[in-house]
Amino acid sequence: MNVVIVGCGRVGARLSLQFVREGADVTIIDQNAAAFARLGNNFAGNALVGNGIDEDMLRRAGIEEADVFVAVTEGDNRNIMACQMAQHIFNVPRVICKINDPVRNEVYMKLGLKTFCPTIVGADTIHAMIEKD
Amino acid sequence: MYVIVIGGGKVGYYLARDLLERGDEVLLVEKDAVRADWLTTQLGSIVMNGDGDEMSFLSTTGIERADFVIAATGDDEDNLVALQIAKKHFNVPHTIARVNNPNNIRIFKILGVDEAISATELLLQAMEQKIPDDDEEPPEQPKIARE
Repeated sequence: MNVVIVGCGRVGARLSLQFVREGADVTIIDQNAAAFARLGNNFAGNALVGNGIDEDMLRRAGIEEADVFVAVTEGDNRNIMACQMAQHIFNVPRVICKINDPVRNEVYMKLGLKTFCPTIVGADTIHAMIEKD
Repeated sequence: MYVIVIGGGKVGYYLARDLLERGDEVLLVEKDAVRADWLTTQLGSIVMNGDGDEMSFLSTTGIERADFVIAATGDDEDNLVALQIAKKHFNVPHTIARVNNPNNIRIFKILGVDEAISATELLLQAMEQKIPDDDEEPPEQPKIARE
């Protein structure tokens, strides 16, 4: 399985390592080379410094052969744009987008993007934990 | 005509100024509070400090009756999202984007933005018009009449 991930924050790094452990071919993109420190010393995937909303950069990351595309930078709009490029220009079969803003999350869900909202998941989790006690 | 301009950098500022001079109703949206204050000193009360891609903010701008929304920030991702929300959520009839990376014109068009304008591309086009094609015959030199 070929996986392209944009954004090497905590989520992106953890997800990359998980996929690599499972034997996937992973390419992770981040604008800041220092972010790759989160991958540890012997990362078995590819780490590329660059802009995740640049078509040429995405091609270099192997998006044309990707089975999975994930955008998990800190910028909602950046994730939304990258994922829509993956979906509409490169026809990646599985695209997942992180959107922190619940309102924007709902808009893009309706527009056909597969989204994930950490704000909603976080709040719901805390709420459920307190209800259980 | 009611025009909302998102982004009060150089492009957005001059655009808003010229639209005002033309007699249009203009709203200029600027994210940065300090910049918004400065814009207000230049253009008056047509400036609003807020996030042009935030729906709760946009719904306070009268966007439902806007004829045009123009996104003119220096960030393509912000311009794209602002105009997708304007188009798909608020049904704005005309949306125009400033596109910073000319490669992005394609994705803007695919995603329903009506016009996507890149300064880089316009400059290239202007240059190409000045460069003669290799296949083309060189223009004939004017003949100097001899006495």
